[in-house]
Amino acid sequence: QSTIKWRMQTYAGAALAEHVVKPAIDTFNKIAGERMQIELFFADQLVPTGELFQAMQRGTIDAVQSDDDSMASPTEVTVFGGYFPFGCRYSLDVPVLFNQYGLKEIWDGEYAKVGVKHISAGAWDPCHFATKDPINSLADLKGKRVFTFPTAGRFLSQFGVIPVTLPWEDIEVAVQTGELDGIAWSGITEDYTVGWADVTDYFLTNNISGAWIGHFFANMERWNELPEDLQALMMVCMEQSHYYRQWWYWGGEANLRVNGTKMKLTSIPDAEWAQVEAAAVTFWDEIAAESETKAKIVEIFRQYNADMQKAGRPYRYS
Amino acid sequence: MRGFIAAVDAVNRRLGRAAMYIIFVMMAVLLWSTISKASSQPSLWTLEVAQFCMIAYFFIGGPYAIQMGSHVRMDLFYDNWSVRRKAITDALTVFCLMVYLVVLLWGGISSTAYSLGYFGSEPLGFFADLMFGDGQVGTMERSRTIWRPYLWPIKTLMCLGILLMLLQAMSELCKDILRLRGEEV
Amino acid sequence: MSYEMIALLMFAAMMLLLFSGQRVFGAIGFVAVIAALVLWGERGGFDIAFSQSIKLMRWYPLLTVPMFVFMGYILSESRIADDLYRMFHVWMGGLRGGLAIGTIGLMVLISAMNGLSVAGMAIGATIALPELLRRGYDKRMVTGVVQAGSSLGILVPPSVVLVLYAMIARQPVGQLWLAGVIPGLMMAAMFIVYIAVRCRINPELGPVLSKEERNLPLREKYALLLAGLLPLGVFFAMMIPFVNGWTSLVESSAIGAITAFIAAVLKRRMTWDVFETSVRKTLGITCMFMWIILAALAFGAVFDGLGAVKAIESLFTERLGLSPWMILILMQLSFILMGTFLDDTAMLVIVAPLYIPLVGALEFDLIWYGVLYTITTQIAYMTPPFGYNLFLMRAMSPPEISLGDIYRSIIPFVAVMVLALVTVMVFPQIALWLPQTVYGN
Ligand code: NA
Ligand code: NA
Repeated sequence: QSTIKWRMQTYAGAALAEHVVKPAIDTFNKIAGERMQIELFFADQLVPTGELFQAMQRGTIDAVQSDDDSMASPTEVTVFGGYFPFGCRYSLDVPVLFNQYGLKEIWDGEYAKVGVKHISAGAWDPCHFATKDPINSLADLKGKRVFTFPTAGRFLSQFGVIPVTLPWEDIEVAVQTGELDGIAWSGITEDYTVGWADVTDYFLTNNISGAWIGHFFANMERWNELPEDLQALMMVCMEQSHYYRQWWYWGGEANLRVNGTKMKLTSIPDAEWAQVEAAAVTFWDEIAAESETKAKIVEIFRQYNADMQKAGRPYRYS
Repeated sequence: MRGFIAAVDAVNRRLGRAAMYIIFVMMAVLLWSTISKASSQPSLWTLEVAQFCMIAYFFIGGPYAIQMGSHVRMDLFYDNWSVRRKAITDALTVFCLMVYLVVLLWGGISSTAYSLGYFGSEPLGFFADLMFGDGQVGTMERSRTIWRPYLWPIKTLMCLGILLMLLQAMSELCKDILRLRGEEV
Repeated sequence: MSYEMIALLMFAAMMLLLFSGQRVFGAIGFVAVIAALVLWGERGGFDIAFSQSIKLMRWYPLLTVPMFVFMGYILSESRIADDLYRMFHVWMGGLRGGLAIGTIGLMVLISAMNGLSVAGMAIGATIALPELLRRGYDKRMVTGVVQAGSSLGILVPPSVVLVLYAMIARQPVGQLWLAGVIPGLMMAAMFIVYIAVRCRINPELGPVLSKEERNLPLREKYALLLAGLLPLGVFFAMMIPFVNGWTSLVESSAIGAITAFIAAVLKRRMTWDVFETSVRKTLGITCMFMWIILAALAFGAVFDGLGAVKAIESLFTERLGLSPWMILILMQLSFILMGTFLDDTAMLVIVAPLYIPLVGALEFDLIWYGVLYTITTQIAYMTPPFGYNLFLMRAMSPPEISLGDIYRSIIPFVAVMVLALVTVMVFPQIALWLPQTVYGN
């Protein structure tokens, strides 16, 4: 019996993938041994990130790690992937939303419609600005060319931010060549890990979302061809990857804010930032008006955040 | 055969000569980008429009570049060969070029179908349905940028460019066949 | 069949097809799609080639390619360079070998406003070469001078080769360009020393210009000096906003192209003929570049899919157990070797993606390696039997210069370039000092 070979491409570059996906794939390969091997490719390596989804549907790539937004999946849920503005406060919100509030079923259904298996959702870091110039007020954001997620960019553009989309691997160079003034893509852990902290000087502590939503996907046919035990093994390894990120980011964010030396922290006062939070309410309404599915998901986000608010400390402090 | 050569060459020459001025559109767009940045109202669309222009520039200009002989060959041996030998070799190896272009075109067609919201594996059937039947477009692919342009126009243009390249390759093949027959080209 | 075997087979098939004289992009693309189809069949075999065109579209620095090529053609077609040449002619003619030295100076200035070596070669071969020959300069020496001088085009910013290198190595173009400045000037200085020494030993190689030819009124002499300011003006119009971060890389390249165009109009050199030729030739060269890169990206994706890069890395480091420096030197040697039979663009887009990640893995500075890489490519361009520069030179030079002359003419200059390469290898600060000073880290 020959070894089953899969190709998986992540939307993360090599340095980041070292933490967020490689350990899980290495573990999978070690356990599966001769039965199955997954070859891991990094951002834009085999196909550009914008083509990831198509490539998976056709089977150029068997599996993908990405958020819905970055790879522009042709589904109703695209805008909620990556950073849905103010949708989550903490990274634990994501698995709760998916496993206890019903997002998992919606995602499974939406992706099955386009021939893709949604394996599982996981959380990454919060979304902060890393910039060359300090940001101390909303006015400082005006006219800044920033690399960010499509939906986050759509939301932020009302504050004068110019969202720019480039291949992930080109970001560091683009900051140096002047194509970008900053990045609103990650927390501080990632800024240090991938080298962005070397090309930007300031880190804004306000975030537009507390946790990224992203997933592992597979080509449906390929997934169905796998024996059940390998499917189970893959799910376990991917859960392990989600778990690794939970503590790696949670600890990393605090540690680098306190002990990091490459970036200076700045903040926009809470009263001023409240304008951005208020804008998110309107933005949610706009999204909900776009379709029934979207309205349903927005309602789940509303319900969840209201519940957390009522639960009080330690779930919400204000 | 001469009719085919003349027709293909004429069309590609005209299109190529039009495409060569796209460089000035790119300059204007990038200049506008600079100006709008200096006036602290940076435009959202400039980089992407410049990228689309670049694609149009070399996809539509490609066949004309073949006519001009701009596509380099490794010519250490080739250059010393007789006209006949060149024609024989070219007539054979041009099929390699055609295979590449056909695969490229096939990829382009399915990608264009995808950009119109078709996720299956028979893009030609989809286009046939769309044009002659009761087919419908699905979720149309948009660029991931804030400007979010639809991608089917540029993908269609790319397919057209590849098709023209293919026709030009056929025209070159016909020329080689004529040369082998000892006719003047 | 093992993946290494397939990779080897792909490489061999590509070489064979290239030798058949088919267009380079067709040969590379064919091997890439056949390999993809055989390996992946329905599952991606048909898509991998086209999806690279989307990658190409999103590679924004490639927008600079037509701009810099256009600048070069404006410069050579409009004959703005005639005045430059006259300037060096009058000011340097009194020295032994002075005109040859002046030609190197001319090449440095031309390099500052074009991104490839083609323009320098065209100007050198059509303007400088006939004049040098008419004045009794040794034909082999001056043929070498033009070729060596024009190779500065890709080391002195702006440089298309360094843009492509930057894309592959994911390094900042600005720093790479600055890193090329001092090695470029150093190499020019070394050429000049070589010419001066040879003409001192053997004055017949480069006779002094007669008094009458040099005797211009002082006012005219100074007026000619102004001609040299033009390329410098274009250069600074482009580089100052870029280095200061006022404009991005691609915006700067457009400003450079527009400035060069305006300069030609103001000097009343922009006839319809010049305009049409520049625009047409820019299209030709850009299409050539882009189609090769498109095909090579597909080739690279299949290669990547096979894990060929990892295989080469483990071959060098684990199986052969070589030290990083030995690997680096081996790579440079293999580069020059490959350059003797591989086309230059193919070398850039196929070999570089294999080597550059390895250099990074060995923890060498990738900015510094970019300069080494560029000098090596230049050497490869001019070493027989294959070399873009050699063929261009043959196409452009006057009939009395044979291919044999061209082949022999470059030997001493290649020696000088190898010396420059070793110098930059041993003293990395020659390349790194300027970018570190300007970007301050
Ligand atoms: Na240059
Ligand atoms: Na060579």
